[in-house]
Amino acid sequence: MLRHTLRSITSNKARFLLTTLVVVLGVTFVVASFALADSLRDTFGQLSADVNEGIDVQIQAIDEFDVAGQTGNNLPVPASVLDDVRQLDGVNNAAGGIFFFSTFPIDGQGRSPGGQDLSTAVNFSGVQSLDKLVVLAGEAPVGPDQFALSPAAFEEFDFEIGNRYAIESTATGRYEMELVGEIRFGLEDDASLGGILVTFDNETAQLVSGYEDSYQLIGVEGEPGVDPEQLVADIQAILPDGIEAITGQQAEEDFSESFEVFIGPFQTVLLVFAFIVLFVSTFIINNTFNIILGQRVRELGMLRALGATGRQVRGSVVGEALIVGIAATALGIGLGLLGALGLKAILEAFVGDFPSAGVPLRLRTIIWAVGLGVGFTVLASLLPAWKASRIPPIAALREEISIGSRSSRARTIFGVVLAIVGIAAAVGGLTGSGGVQATLSLLGFGAAVIFLAVAILAPLFAGPVVSFLAAPLPKLFGTPGAIARENARRSPRRTAATAIALTIGLALVTLVTVVAASLKQSVNDTLESAVAGDFVIFADGGNGIPPALADELRTLDELDAVVRERFETVRFNGEITDLEGSTMELIEEVVRIDVVEGSTAAGDPARRVAISTEYAEEAQLGVGDFVPIEFAEGGMADLEVVAIYADDTWYGDRFLDIAVLDEFGSNRADGDFLLSLAEGVTVEVARPAIEAALGDSPLAGLRTREEAIGEFQGFIDIILTMATIFLGFALLIAIIGIVNTLTLSVIERTREIGLLRAVGMTRRQSRKMIRWEAVAIALFGAVLGIILGMIFGFAIVEAVPDDFIGTLVVPWVRIVFFLVAAVLLGMVAAFLPARRASKMNVLEAIAHE
Amino acid sequence: MTTTMTNLAARAAGASKIYGSGDTEVRALDDVTVAFERGRFSAIMGPSGSGKSTLMHCLAGLDDLTSGSVYIGDTELGSLSENDLTLLRRTSVGFVFQAFNLIPTLTARENMVLPMTLAGTKPDEAWVDQIVTTVNLADRMDHRPSELSGGQQQRVAVARALASQPDIIFADEPTGNLDSRSGAEILNFMRNAVDDLGQTIVMVTHDPVAAAYSDRVVVLADGKIVDEILEPTADTVFDKLKALGD
Ligand SMILES: Nc1ncnc2c1ncn2[C@@H]1O[C@H](COP(=O)(O)OP(=O)(O)OP(=O)(O)O)[C@@H](O)[C@H]1O
Ligand SMILES: [Mg+2]
Repeated sequence: MLRHTLRSITSNKARFLLTTLVVVLGVTFVVASFALADSLRDTFGQLSADVNEGIDVQIQAIDEFDVAGQTGNNLPVPASVLDDVRQLDGVNNAAGGIFFFSTFPIDGQGRSPGGQDLSTAVNFSGVQSLDKLVVLAGEAPVGPDQFALSPAAFEEFDFEIGNRYAIESTATGRYEMELVGEIRFGLEDDASLGGILVTFDNETAQLVSGYEDSYQLIGVEGEPGVDPEQLVADIQAILPDGIEAITGQQAEEDFSESFEVFIGPFQTVLLVFAFIVLFVSTFIINNTFNIILGQRVRELGMLRALGATGRQVRGSVVGEALIVGIAATALGIGLGLLGALGLKAILEAFVGDFPSAGVPLRLRTIIWAVGLGVGFTVLASLLPAWKASRIPPIAALREEISIGSRSSRARTIFGVVLAIVGIAAAVGGLTGSGGVQATLSLLGFGAAVIFLAVAILAPLFAGPVVSFLAAPLPKLFGTPGAIARENARRSPRRTAATAIALTIGLALVTLVTVVAASLKQSVNDTLESAVAGDFVIFADGGNGIPPALADELRTLDELDAVVRERFETVRFNGEITDLEGSTMELIEEVVRIDVVEGSTAAGDPARRVAISTEYAEEAQLGVGDFVPIEFAEGGMADLEVVAIYADDTWYGDRFLDIAVLDEFGSNRADGDFLLSLAEGVTVEVARPAIEAALGDSPLAGLRTREEAIGEFQGFIDIILTMATIFLGFALLIAIIGIVNTLTLSVIERTREIGLLRAVGMTRRQSRKMIRWEAVAIALFGAVLGIILGMIFGFAIVEAVPDDFIGTLVVPWVRIVFFLVAAVLLGMVAAFLPARRASKMNVLEAIAHE
Repeated sequence: MTTTMTNLAARAAGASKIYGSGDTEVRALDDVTVAFERGRFSAIMGPSGSGKSTLMHCLAGLDDLTSGSVYIGDTELGSLSENDLTLLRRTSVGFVFQAFNLIPTLTARENMVLPMTLAGTKPDEAWVDQIVTTVNLADRMDHRPSELSGGQQQRVAVARALASQPDIIFADEPTGNLDSRSGAEILNFMRNAVDDLGQTIVMVTHDPVAAAYSDRVVVLADGKIVDEILEPTADTVFDKLKALGD
């Protein structure tokens, strides 16, 4: 029986290759996602090990508001703690550390690292075993007028020791200092991953980063032989409230883990696409097996007549699937590793070289690849195998041959039940109160089940729908068109199964398109109606804008108002939340806001807050009432409600004066500025003046309001394009599916095509016939997919809160484009099968079988 | 439709067809020269493997010769391109095969007018109706082939061959799969087409009874024409073939 299986594979190489290809693509995706994510993990694990090497205990501030581990507040540890800890028994040495992102040196040609580069301020503590800073040339910086740079800065930019350069800090603005040395991070090798380090002495680093008289953390080296756990306990005993000690081991793990925040989702996104590709592939494989078995009914009947058991026949089919699955998985693993290497090279082009060469292939990756690759293939073959095993020996003798299938009634019931389950899951996900993860999982599950239901039900309506869609074919293309139409609907099950891959792919593309278009429109509406300012300044350096820049801008006559904005995680009225601060008294100049009671300019700037009517009602607050607020660093105040405004503004339910954040907050840089022009000043006139005031700061990016809106939309477009490209793989598989089915159909209809040719069908006409059959199938899949995608898209737009996506937009132009693309895809898919049909030797075709 | 001057619907001159080469060489046709006159019903007979089908395929432009030439009317087929051959088949040649003559997705009527719709020409409705009545299929014309009996299917095939009023119709064992009654119907029908409508038919058959319906029997053996029987009866044909077998 195994011989028979192998013979079956080798005698149908083309079909075997096509079937394998779809699985290969899916496995490639799986392996690439894992390998790339693992490579990133290794890289950051290495970095983490380098940073924490030699540190037995780490002292840091507790951030109780950092619930999700994402505020990145890095609360200060007082410098006095360092002195106390140094006195302690068992402590060999200790050093304070500052790593302040987004501090940019500006080189001799006015260039500086941009937002993508890590350019970080660090302090030269003098304790090399803890900070791992090595002076390569010149000297270590001493005093407020000196700094040093890491090798990467000298390589990529124009710096020379002995000269003076400007330095921009997001927290505290601009400095000018003398470059005194070249300093490397890493005792043996450069371990900075290509990032740029700007080194100062302790006090200067504190000044530049805004950590007055404090550090972000303190590293402690114990006396030889001291137990770290014991040391942690001893140190904890003398620490003030809000400061904690952890082992170096723990610190290293925390540090590595903090990168999971972006590695994890990155891996998940890739895996989701991999899953989609494999899911779509399952339909193709299943369909291919079904058709092939249909063609082999007589042969299998013969085998049964000769004494093969049903089990042996089943084994032969599943065996074929197993071999396909294994071959495809092996190939997919290889291609996946190549893909990961390619993606890694692209990443490296942006962020600098990773320390590890190659990408790791973990056992976990192999298990997933084999599980999914072989699993999906075998799964897809089970039903056809079961049907094949039920072929009776008499089938070998029958003239009319057909492969057994469940009654259409059982099919309908099963499909409808599945559809209900899928819809219930999707609705549950959309309306449920679970987190993002739960919502998306439920939605994904629901969508998958709905697709399955559609696949099961589609044969019921494929016939009439295809007839309808293909109705113009006879008129347009005469008899070849008419026959194409008949062929497309003669086997609704096959047509449906072939089209379903395209349906799934296009449904997802349509969904993403509808959601993106609606999101774009909503963002546009919100910005158009909410923002009245003429200019926006964004934090192009990636980590904020120095508040001091606002003072520069305020000296300009061309500007009427300069409003600073910044977020902070606080406990407001008993609830931990992100709250926006802004220059409240100027707010009406730059934001459309309808104050219904009080005034945003009233009260003490450092103690005021404004709330929406809805929130006022919900929290039972009125103008003049006081609300408690608490900050991560321990600051507390009561804020006076000075204004109540109508709902639907830029700021949501409440916002406070940025003066409050200046006094108590932990963030030292602003998020952005909103500017409005003075009377009679045009954008063209103001622009150069503003640019001059900003100087060559790499931190602040000036945009007009329209430019800012365009940028947001461009960003959404990029995400949309990327998603479409990934989903394009699903479409590619759909094409392969159509090629597969048509090729098999052409083989199956060899005699028929031969007859047509004998009675006068030209080669061109035979190609036309196959081509338009493919188009009819593709169009069916596309229409079904677009309808499903729109329904899914509408549901999501409906379910997402209105202040995020409020308007439903149907991107008709794109949808028409998808339909045209489907027609073209069908034509592309038909190319080889059509050629095969037209090249058929008429005599052999007639003599076939 | 016919602009030919000669009285010959099709002919072969020195036609040879060789399959394979060297040891495996098979001479399916060996220097065959034969002509089929207009308005006559001819039969080709001979033992299995004698080259009957090959001769017919070459005459019909479905296959090409190794040497020699074949003509449909005045047109020499060897000089025609693949596309021209297809167009010629469409307009000037009709076919009836032993089985699988019809496209399963088309109705009997659609099958019948297929060569004309492929050419994009309008069938002559009166003519089509006349044929339909003659083959006695008027009430079955909107059915698919799967809903017709084998005999009915063959009748539709003959009707198709007639519908386009070709110069010549080739039939390769058209009754081979039928019982004697259905076979007789088809043969009668073909005979009538020649007598009443002036058609030209060339039929390959193994059956002396079938051959007896024709005006003339050409006997092939080993790729050569070995005999010819005019005004055959079942008995004369049977005797000749028997003699050949001995
Ligand atoms: N494609 C081919 N390749 C090789 N040899 C062939 C091919 N087609 C036919 N032949 C050979 O040519 C010879 C004539 O075949 P042909 O089919 O014309 O015989 P036939 O008289 O129609 O036989 P039958 O009565 O069995 O239909 C036979 O020996 C056959 O084996
Ligand atoms: Mg023959």
